[in-house]
Amino acid sequence: MVFLQNVIHWIYMIFAAVSCFFLVKHLFKREKNKGIVNDIVYAYCIIPFLLRILQIK
Amino acid sequence: MKMSKSILVKLIALAVALVLAALAGVEFYNYRHTPETVVASSALTETHMLSEWVPSLKGTFGDTPVFFFDSGVEGGTMLYLGGTHPYEPATSMSAYVMLNNITVQKGRVIIIPQANRSATTLGMLGNAYPPYYKVETEWGTAQFKNGDRWANPLDSWPDPFTYMHYPSNLALTYQDIRNVNRCYPGRPDGSLIERVCFAIMEIIRNEDVDIAIDSHEAAVMYPVVETYVAHDRALDMAMMASMSLSADRFYMKCEASPKNLRGLSHREWGDYSDTLAVLMETPHTFTDWIVGPMTDDLQPVGQDEILKIAAEHGLTYVDYDYEFGTPLKYRVGRHLEGAKEVLSWANDMQLMWENKDIQVTWPSYNELMEKDCGYFLENPETADPSLVFEI
Repeated sequence: MVFLQNVIHWIYMIFAAVSCFFLVKHLFKREKNKGIVNDIVYAYCIIPFLLRILQIK
Repeated sequence: MKMSKSILVKLIALAVALVLAALAGVEFYNYRHTPETVVASSALTETHMLSEWVPSLKGTFGDTPVFFFDSGVEGGTMLYLGGTHPYEPATSMSAYVMLNNITVQKGRVIIIPQANRSATTLGMLGNAYPPYYKVETEWGTAQFKNGDRWANPLDSWPDPFTYMHYPSNLALTYQDIRNVNRCYPGRPDGSLIERVCFAIMEIIRNEDVDIAIDSHEAAVMYPVVETYVAHDRALDMAMMASMSLSADRFYMKCEASPKNLRGLSHREWGDYSDTLAVLMETPHTFTDWIVGPMTDDLQPVGQDEILKIAAEHGLTYVDYDYEFGTPLKYRVGRHLEGAKEVLSWANDMQLMWENKDIQVTWPSYNELMEKDCGYFLENPETADPSLVFEI
């Protein structure tokens, strides 16, 4: 049970890392919706990931 | 040139978002990293950290101080737990008043004032209320945290879709994996709160705790309010204590710990150790879902007009007097008196026959009602520095 919980924990972590990667990718390089509003939304969504990576809690 | 301008705009957007996050987050950061300062009585004999029983807690917000008061006279051991749910602050405040004023004539007392320290680092998500409540003392106004019910997701993440309690496999709501009173008996390699619970169980088992009391507060519209909930072995003494309290001090009922409701202190402490396990609940307006404005006074005073209307229509489980409210001194007094009363009956009915009775002194219900909480809190600035602790 503890092993399974650890597996699920790391799956969550990997999902979070993938989400962060795509947010950064779409902020700097995207094909559609190139307006500044989308830049702001992507930038805003990246912040929680950035704080977590920097270990700011 | 066009490309670099575009990237500059994105970097500016990122920087602005970071600045806004910092402005919004600084209050949360300070709240999380500001401890409560308390003073222990000179009867203190040892101070430990919970991580001494589960080393993986060291350096986490699950680690919390454990205070030992040993009389040096052979007798039993009592554990008093506050802060299982920090948004029920009469629990930690009663532990602070006990910590600051206790003398032990026989046996030992162990106090854990903030059992879920991680939950003191945030407020309840989506339920806006003041971060602090104030207590007037002779040396000024002291402020303490309102806290949350569950540990901070920053310390225990992610939650499962369904929390499966260990070892019963009972399915519970997902966030209860961060609830100290749903994770007993815990396990040494589990989630943060499962480890906290295992450490508390280890204290009960390794320190031969004879009677363990878990303090809580409950909404006036919740059925388990103004009550003891006792494990099978402690039921007789809790019943006697409830009758004697109700006869001459304040109304207190008693319920038997349900056998199939797992993870709670009154069930698992008794099942996984030899201790006499008792949980106590005071009336707590602040946690009633129907209350009106969550003002600064709601926590320490407890007057709410919506609850008054509910009480007039008979919708509360105990009497609610709007003029009186549910003041902090009343709730802290109830806990201190409730703990002493059940200890007294445990002494008379069981412990003294095994030379394991525990003789203690701490402020009574009447003293709390007369002098209020602040009277019993010493000024950390002028106290003996070796007795000042940050939790």
